[in-house]
Amino acid sequence: MSIKIRMRGKSKGGVAEVKALIKHKMESGARMNKKTGKPYPAEFINMVEVTVNGTKAVDAQWSGAVSANPYVGVKVKANKGDEVTLSLADNTGKKGTETIKLR
Amino acid sequence: MKRRSFLKGTLATGAAAIAVNAGLLTPSTVLAAWNKKAFESKTTDDALNAAFGTASAAKSGDIELSAPAIAENGAVTPIKIDASKMSGVESIAILASKNPMPLVCEYSFSGPAIGYVSTRIKMGETQNVMAVVKAGGKLYKAEQEVKVTIGGCGG
Repeated sequence: MSIKIRMRGKSKGGVAEVKALIKHKMESGARMNKKTGKPYPAEFINMVEVTVNGTKAVDAQWSGAVSANPYVGVKVKANKGDEVTLSLADNTGKKGTETIKLR
Repeated sequence: MKRRSFLKGTLATGAAAIAVNAGLLTPSTVLAAWNKKAFESKTTDDALNAAFGTASAAKSGDIELSAPAIAENGAVTPIKIDASKMSGVESIAILASKNPMPLVCEYSFSGPAIGYVSTRIKMGETQNVMAVVKAGGKLYKAEQEVKVTIGGCGG
């Protein structure tokens, strides 16, 4: 199961704001299961990468302290029609990727 | 012989291209290794040392840090950092000083990127949110206190 991403981006005057919502529970590994007294195992996205037409723009590392169902907002120099790709991976090896054409 | 190696070569690249198309090999699997040491540090200074090699950051008014003064729900605190006024921004890190592990996230920029990050973070209690920007090899920071009414860590 890959990670679900919803993404949109619009270019205005050569600068595009790219926004994405990711469906992920972002379990930090610190939250306790009150019934068993054991922590829920950590499961969070730790690698995020944004590319514009194949060129790397943003490379982010996350901890479990990013909210559940994370929001990613970045700005890149790009024009209408450019392809922006967001790829991510979590600590359990699950991956997700999404490509959009800028409006 | 030549023909044979040529055929072999095209077949191999063809197979790789198909694999990429099928999403088996994402083009960006060559992500840098996750900085475990920095993210598991218990203090902001340790985290900065592990992430950037130094903990001394100068205060800068060019970093625009927008965070809510009061966060009703600490599990979802919207944070926006705009450092596009600064030149040569290499990376931006967000730290929550009193979280069990202060370093929340670190973004590094290259090529077409602009020094701007917008995200949502978890905060355990009322504390300062710190934005650390690395520009031109130096560290700059901006801080803001966020009051948290319901904690978002553990529980």
